Amino acid sequence: MTPHSPGTDQIDTLLQIGFVAAAIVVVAINVALLYAVRRNRARRGVAPRPAGSSRGGQLRVGAALTAFAAVIFILGVIFTGKARETPESGSAGLAAAKSKPLTIKATGQQWLWRYDYPNGAFSYYKLVVPVDTAVELELLSTDVVHTWNVPDLSGKRDAVPGKTNKVVFLTDEEGEYGGQSATLSGQAYGAMRTAVEVVSPQAYEEFVKQQRADINSAQDRVVGLIENGEVP
Amino acid sequence: MSQKPRPELVIDGFPGKRRPRWVELATSADHKDLGRILIGGSLGFLFIALVELLLMRLQLAIPENTFLSPVAFNRMLSLYGTDAIFLFALPLALGLFYYVAPLQVGSRGTALPRLGQIGVALWVMGAVVLYAGFLFTPSEAGVNPLAPLSEIAFLSNNGVDAWATATGLATLGFVFIAIDLLTTLRNLRAPGMAWRRVPVFSWAAAVCCWLLLTIGPVLLAALTMLMIDRNYDGIFFADGSGGAPLLWQHFSWIFFSGAYMLILIFAFGAIAEIVAAFSGRPLANRGVVMGSLAAIAVLGTLAWMQNMLTAPIGIGWMYFAMLMSLALIVPFGLIVFNLITTMLGGVLRMRAPLLFALGAISSISIGLAAEIDHSMVAAAWELKNTTDSTAATHFALVGGAVFGGFAALYFWFPKMTGRTMGENLARISFGTMAVGILLAFVPLFFAGGEQGEVVDAYKFFDHTGVNAYNLIASIGALVLAAGIVMTLVNAILSRVNGPEAGHDPWGGDSLEWFTLSPPEPHNFDVLPDVRSARPMRDIRDAIAHRTGSTAAPAQETQPVA
Repeated sequence: MTPHSPGTDQIDTLLQIGFVAAAIVVVAINVALLYAVRRNRARRGVAPRPAGSSRGGQLRVGAALTAFAAVIFILGVIFTGKARETPESGSAGLAAAKSKPLTIKATGQQWLWRYDYPNGAFSYYKLVVPVDTAVELELLSTDVVHTWNVPDLSGKRDAVPGKTNKVVFLTDEEGEYGGQSATLSGQAYGAMRTAVEVVSPQAYEEFVKQQRADINSAQDRVVGLIENGEVP
Repeated sequence: MSQKPRPELVIDGFPGKRRPRWVELATSADHKDLGRILIGGSLGFLFIALVELLLMRLQLAIPENTFLSPVAFNRMLSLYGTDAIFLFALPLALGLFYYVAPLQVGSRGTALPRLGQIGVALWVMGAVVLYAGFLFTPSEAGVNPLAPLSEIAFLSNNGVDAWATATGLATLGFVFIAIDLLTTLRNLRAPGMAWRRVPVFSWAAAVCCWLLLTIGPVLLAALTMLMIDRNYDGIFFADGSGGAPLLWQHFSWIFFSGAYMLILIFAFGAIAEIVAAFSGRPLANRGVVMGSLAAIAVLGTLAWMQNMLTAPIGIGWMYFAMLMSLALIVPFGLIVFNLITTMLGGVLRMRAPLLFALGAISSISIGLAAEIDHSMVAAAWELKNTTDSTAATHFALVGGAVFGGFAALYFWFPKMTGRTMGENLARISFGTMAVGILLAFVPLFFAGGEQGEVVDAYKFFDHTGVNAYNLIASIGALVLAAGIVMTLVNAILSRVNGPEAGHDPWGGDSLEWFTLSPPEPHNFDVLPDVRSARPMRDIRDAIAHRTGSTAAPAQETQPVA
């Protein structure tokens, strides 16, 4: 993943911390094992040392391990808190979303994402958002559990039927970011992808307006067809 | 069973001809026979799990492969996960506990043998139901079939019903076995065998039984609700009419987290025995190790929400899950520290059991270290449900159940059959498995952690930067499977052709080495008074004292590796 949002910047740092902690653990344990095996392979005439036990030693080891776990816990809380913060829209962002984030509804359904924009327009598969603007996605599901997952922009969150989940991100770079749903949801789960296209605020306004108009004209046409009796 | 003549036994009117051996085995309520059924059966299901894993890895060897259809892949996935947990890892652990623990605590049998027999029969029925699913249609809902995908509205065929019945029967069987074993461990220990003198493996068995009695009923309740939902218009996990899909996640993750911990507690129990025996000295600070094993059971189960960090639950619960998961660092760390301390002061005989035990520690260390990243809430948002979590889980559980289980198998096989397993084949098998697990799962860390490849998907797309990782992982899975099959073959061959082991091939310290190999149905003719945590060593010392032998008797039976 390449972070493109304040939240994922924090997550990226936390991942690196976790990687270092994991590497320390793996190296320490495996080096100690190899050392013990190399030094103490059976030789003739060498007897094992009698068992010793030291309560103080165990306490020190326990305290060191507790301190290690506590440091990781505290770092985890700090960076999780930072990653959850709602970013502030920048000057190049959508003017209407200056004070509070642009809220878009993302609905998971087998096996596609639907995005509902504030003005009533909607789109399938591809989400279009303005650059440098805080975007809040409300995750919903109409059928089974889906996971909205665009790694560059945000951590994953589940869309569970009957519940609302939330994802917040802001990106200062135009472009297209790919993602793939991450909870087994049935046959076509492996093909359930989505994309986020980040465009300028003007292009975004134009897109939702055009989308709205297209949807309206399509609706009018269908209603017309039904009224004329051409389709049942 | 030994066929040695026993002149002191006078049996009038003995029919002279015994029933066939398989009838004896199938109708026996002896813990050793039931343990053999569980161990043998679970190793067979390990082979089937490997076939399923390889089919999935073949599908995922190249991008956008069409070898398996999406439905076929989902069925393989569901069967593989269920087989690996319910038909391999848990019954292997329980089978070894069931065989060895009553011997270790000096019991002549189990307390409630018929209950244990019913338990094993239920497990066999569960296995039959799971694979009978092939006759109509196996489940497509994954390893943990999250509601509402598992509801009748989304999967209307009988697959999920078969899955729920199979896992329910198996889990009920495990609970019955746990009741029998726990009653035995609490009530039928030899005179003088206080809890502080109980061997670590038997202590692990007691902890695992308590754990199963806690988590087993939770899954059974959830499965019952699922069956009511699916077949009688229930709404437990259905959204919109008062039910809650998240309820299933809580119930099922309590069970699966507990089962994960059970496998690791089993593995560390066996590893502790093996490391001590092959270092030639007792386990350092065994009280601390025993306490840590119990702590793992509690903390690990309380960390169930670590699997739900992306679900819509409150941030406070997420921090709670992180706290419980990270607290596990302390007991796991203390156990590994004391294992290494034991080895540092010992003289190591590098025989197959120790080799596999060290492999298990190494593999589990990689898996649990990776879990640190999966426990930190925000990091988990990125890593969860990527192949990074597949890799972490497999390092921990293949390390625990396969490496740890094989270590225990190599260690206690002589007790069960009277014969030692082949040492050369064991070494080749170990080397192949070690290379295989690294090749199979390290690339998945990169595919998931760097490129975000998602888990459980029947295909991956080209140009997502994961082609090479997946190809290497598929080759690695094949190597790993080859290594595992070598040990399975080794076990089959050695049952008849292995070198005679004698009663105490490794110079062990606990009472199972005091009896015959294989033990008589009643386990012990006489039982010693237990005066320490190393009763077998006391017996050897007493014999040496009486016969005036100067050589330490333990060393006579120990070939220097």
